[in-house]
Amino acid sequence: MRLPGLARLVQANLQRRLLRSLLTLSGVAAAVALFLLVESLSAGLDSALSGGEAARTLIVYRQNRYCPQTSFLPQNEATRIAKIDGIESVLPVKVFLSNCRTSLDVVAFHGVPAEQLFATRKIELIEGDRAAFEQRADAALVGRAFAARRGLKVGDLFRFNRLEVSVVGIFRSPEPIEESLVVTHLETLQRSAAVQQQGTVTQFEVKVRDPARARAIAEEIDALLATSTAPTDTRLKLAFLESATAELRELLSFGRLFGVCCVLVMLVLVGNTVAMAVHERRAELAVLRTLGFRPSRLARLLLSESCALALLGGVVGTAAALATIASTHLTLGVEGVMVTFAVSPLLIAKGLGVAAAAGVVAAALPAWNTTRAPIPAALRGA
Amino acid sequence: MAFIELAGVTKRFTKGEHVITPLDDVTLSIEQGEFFVLLGPSGSGKTTLLHLLAGIDRPESGRVVVAGQALGELSPGPLADWRAEHVGYVFQQHHLVPVLTAYENVELPLHLFPLSRAQRHERVALALEAVGLADRADHLPRQLSGGQEQRVALARAIVADPPLLVADEPTGNLDHASAEAILTLFRRLQRERGKTIVMVTHDPNAAAYGTRIVRLDKGRLLEEATR
Repeated sequence: MRLPGLARLVQANLQRRLLRSLLTLSGVAAAVALFLLVESLSAGLDSALSGGEAARTLIVYRQNRYCPQTSFLPQNEATRIAKIDGIESVLPVKVFLSNCRTSLDVVAFHGVPAEQLFATRKIELIEGDRAAFEQRADAALVGRAFAARRGLKVGDLFRFNRLEVSVVGIFRSPEPIEESLVVTHLETLQRSAAVQQQGTVTQFEVKVRDPARARAIAEEIDALLATSTAPTDTRLKLAFLESATAELRELLSFGRLFGVCCVLVMLVLVGNTVAMAVHERRAELAVLRTLGFRPSRLARLLLSESCALALLGGVVGTAAALATIASTHLTLGVEGVMVTFAVSPLLIAKGLGVAAAAGVVAAALPAWNTTRAPIPAALRGA
Repeated sequence: MAFIELAGVTKRFTKGEHVITPLDDVTLSIEQGEFFVLLGPSGSGKTTLLHLLAGIDRPESGRVVVAGQALGELSPGPLADWRAEHVGYVFQQHHLVPVLTAYENVELPLHLFPLSRAQRHERVALALEAVGLADRADHLPRQLSGGQEQRVALARAIVADPPLLVADEPTGNLDHASAEAILTLFRRLQRERGKTIVMVTHDPNAAAYGTRIVRLDKGRLLEEATR
C-alpha cells in the first residue's frame, strides 16, 4: 500500500477511538515534556561546565567555605597574586546571592571593578551602553537570561533586598552561567546596605597565560596566602564549578532515572492502546490479509499507527516543554553557579526520537502476533 | 486441468481432547466459469473448504491447485500476493472497515496494485455501479443497510477483477429482496464476465442459482446436481 492509502487508514483508525487516542496522546505528551525538562536541565549543566575560558581560569576562594556569602578575602590580595609569574589578570569579584542553597529562582550579583570587566570577561553588550556602566556607580549590566526571566530592559530600576541598581545594558556571554548574572560595580555592591563588606571580595578570578601551568600557579597562590588572615583554596574554574554543582549532578542523575521512567510510561501507554486496538480489530486485520495484504504491510500499518500516535504526543509534549522553559526562564542556582534549561535542536530531536522509538517498540509485539495468527482463527474471533 | 483441483485434501482441528476432521480425503474439480454451490449443515466443513481454495488456510495433507498454482508451494507473502490477484472474498458478515467510506472500502484491494489514482477511481466507480451503489460512495458502512453493506463487500471483491469469487453464506444475514439482488449479481458476474464462483450456503433457494451443487456431509462431498 502506498503512502496516501496507508496514511488515510492510519488517520481513520486513530480517529475511530478518538477519546482513547487523545488520552494516550496526552500521556505521551506529559512523559515527553517531563523527559525533555530533565534532559534540558542536564544539558544546561553540561553547558555551564563547558565554558571556553575554564581551562585557563582559576578561582581563588576562601579555604573551607562553600557558600559565596561566607567567603571573604581581602581585596588588596589581588595585587600580591598578580605578581606571580604567568598570570595575565586578576579580577576581584564580590558575589551576592538571594539564596545559597539550590533554588529555582536565584538572583546573583557579581560586583567587579568596572574598568576591568570587559578586559577579563568575554561578555558582549546586545543592548545598552558600556560608557554608562563605567560612569555610573549604580549602573548594572544584566545577563540576557536573567533579563528575560525578570522582564528587565535598559532603563529599568532593579531592586532586590535593599539593593537598587539601574539597568544600563544587557549582555550575552559564551559562558552560559554568566548570562544569569547581574554585574555591578564592586564598590557599590560592597557598600550596599545588603552586603556591607567593604574591602573584601568573595573570590578572585585569575586568568593564566598557559593553561598547562594552571595547577602549579594555583598551588603558588595558596602557598602565598597560607599564612594570611584568609587562607585560600584555589582551583581550576571547571573543578570549582564541578564541586559547586556536585549535589545538583547527583540529583540530576536521579532525575535521569525519572526520565527513563517517563519513557517506560510512554511505552506502556502506547503499547496498551495498540494492543487494545489490535485485539478489537483482529477480524478486520484478518479480512485485510484475506484481501491480499502481506503480513509485512499490516505490520507497517500497525507500526505507523503507533508511531503516529506517539509522535503526535511527542510534538505536543515538546511544544509544552519549550513553552514552559520559554515562559518561565527558570534558572537553577546552586552555590552561586547558575544553570539554565538548555534546549537545542538535538534535544528536540531526541525527544521526538524517543517518542517515535516508543511507538515502534510498543507496536512490535502486537504487530508480530497479529500478522502471524492463522487467518481463519482471526476471522472466527470476530 | 480444471480451474480448481483438490486432491486427497484432509483438514483436521484439535478442540480440547477431540480431533475434528471437517474434510477427509476430499477430491474435487471445478471448471472455469462454473457457479459452484456447496451445501451442507453447519459445521460440515463448507467454510474450511472455502478457506483452503481461497489460500487462507492450508490442509494437513493433499494438494490444492487454483488457476494452475499449487497453493502449498507458496510462502505467506507470495500467497498474499496470489490472493490479491486471483481471489475475491465475500463474507457472511460484510466485514467492511467501519471508519472508511464505501468508496474507500472498495478501493482497499487496489492499493496492492501499481495503479494511478485515476485508474483506481475508474475501477472503484465501475464496481460500485455494478452493484448499484454509485450514489452511496461517500457513505460510511453504518449509514448503509445490511443489503447495501453486502453489495459494497461484493464490489470490494470484484474491483481488482479476480478470476475467482468465493462467498461464504453471502445472503445469510439478508432479507429476501437483498438476498435476491446479491445472488442475481453473482449470476451476472458468472454469465457476463466468466467468473468462477464458489458459494457456500445452507439455503436451497440460494443454491438454485448455481450451475453445480455439491453437498458436503461428514467431511465427504456428494454430487447433487449440475445444470
